[in-house]
Amino acid sequence: MQEAFFRQQSGGRQYQFTTRAGRWPAGQATNSMTTEAKKQIIDVGDGAAIPRKSDRGLFTAWRIAFFGAIGTLLYLVKTQPDPYLNILKFVPDGILVTFQVTLGAILLASVIGLITGLGRISKNRFINGAASLYVEIIRGIPLLVQIFYIYYALGRFVQVPAILSAIIAMAVCYGAYMGEVVRAGIESIAKGQTEAALSLGMNARQTMFHVILPQSVKVILPPVGNEFIALLKDSSLVSIIAVADLLRRGREFASESFTYFETYTVIALIYLIITLFFSKIIGVLEERVSVNK
Amino acid sequence: MKFIRIMAAVLATGLCLASAAFAAPKNVTVATDATWPPMEFVDANKKIVGFDIDFMNAVAKEAGFQVTFKNTAWDGIFAGIAAGQYDAIISSVTITAERKAKFDFTAPYISIGQILVVPKAEKGNKVADLKGKRVGAQIGTTGAMEIKKAAGVELKTYDEVGLAFEDMAAGRISGVVCDQPTAVTYALDKKEYSKKFKIVGKPFTTEAYGIVVKKGNKDLVALLNKGIASVQKKKIDVQLKKKWHLK
Repeated sequence: MQEAFFRQQSGGRQYQFTTRAGRWPAGQATNSMTTEAKKQIIDVGDGAAIPRKSDRGLFTAWRIAFFGAIGTLLYLVKTQPDPYLNILKFVPDGILVTFQVTLGAILLASVIGLITGLGRISKNRFINGAASLYVEIIRGIPLLVQIFYIYYALGRFVQVPAILSAIIAMAVCYGAYMGEVVRAGIESIAKGQTEAALSLGMNARQTMFHVILPQSVKVILPPVGNEFIALLKDSSLVSIIAVADLLRRGREFASESFTYFETYTVIALIYLIITLFFSKIIGVLEERVSVNK
Repeated sequence: MKFIRIMAAVLATGLCLASAAFAAPKNVTVATDATWPPMEFVDANKKIVGFDIDFMNAVAKEAGFQVTFKNTAWDGIFAGIAAGQYDAIISSVTITAERKAKFDFTAPYISIGQILVVPKAEKGNKVADLKGKRVGAQIGTTGAMEIKKAAGVELKTYDEVGLAFEDMAAGRISGVVCDQPTAVTYALDKKEYSKKFKIVGKPFTTEAYGIVVKKGNKDLVALLNKGIASVQKKKIDVQLKKKWHLK
């Protein structure tokens, strides 16, 4: 058993992949990986801090933040129904839209990411070039600009509902990051796996889809969860293009009642509760996956 | 002893600042959301221009103070005045009861109405006719409030009214409600849009614009009112309306 660290950089994000490369007694790979493992890796994702049991401080902090946020929200609603209860009553459909955009975008981004990831490791020059170009372009443009651009550019050619354009805009952006996750995940599978599959008479395609990809899913899952949370937070940007998400609903409420401080307090608390909830789920998921290894 | 002295000093400075803020100032910072042509917008030279801007400058000249304009996004423009980031707002702000409860207004300086702009193919000629359809307006404007009143019409709010018009050009919404002069600028003066849009009916509200100041800042209201009265007496506002093609 060997520990392998893989790092992957995608526009300021950095993930640390800790994976046991498997039952394969590898020769050369082991040497290069042990040297790799000694490298110091700074692990800063912009998704959310995932509360792992091994990190006691963060684990307790998660509890304090999560229950603190719920407690604060309930306290405010109970003691000052006007305006806090009114705000809370105004925004639920916005939460729904936020989820719709996030889920739609993550699903579409996964598909784009898989294609891009495979393209990035492809030996075909044209496919590889196209995938790399896509990643390079998307990473170089701020998400907010992309959302504006895709929304109004789409409007010139086809007539799609605002929410769908928002999903497409988010997915096109996150697809590039997801592609890098997929690529790193595939590359984290020991070479011996490919060699074994090929020697058993599988062709390259079968090797990828029956041997490599199923194994890399385990590696990919945690960073995808992280991307999901990052996307959930970034989805607040779509409020700029008149999609009635959580932030937009809050802004609409504030702009007419002039209760800016109170409204944004509630909006921030709701986002916090949602992201903390999901980071916990991802933490649990991660533990399950690592047990199965 | 030292602590008390420091506290006294802090208090004294605070009081000085507070009184300075409310005394009739020589320089008034005025916020405006310059996305609302022809009332206030940024021209090709990146300068903030428009009827409101000219009017404010005239008022300042009459009342004897300096004006500094601050281009501020509409969403949050009221929060800025409450936080003291600027002294006044001149940004086509309609005087409404809700706003009056939270802020002080000067005397009204112009009267304008909301009007509906629709794509050329649209048959309805008032907001209520657009049942089951989406109608857009800038967030937190009286136009948005008018759409909300119409039952069965879905309101879509935008950060800038220009984005609403662009969305209507893309076919995502079936109408835009905004102030009549702005509607004219977008629907008729812009070549690209004049082929696609039409203005229907007459303005269906009568609204008076006022300059907004922080609640309780009576000195500034008095100063501005003095300027407005003088501008109106000299009929400068009539000339300005002509200059900006306002009725």
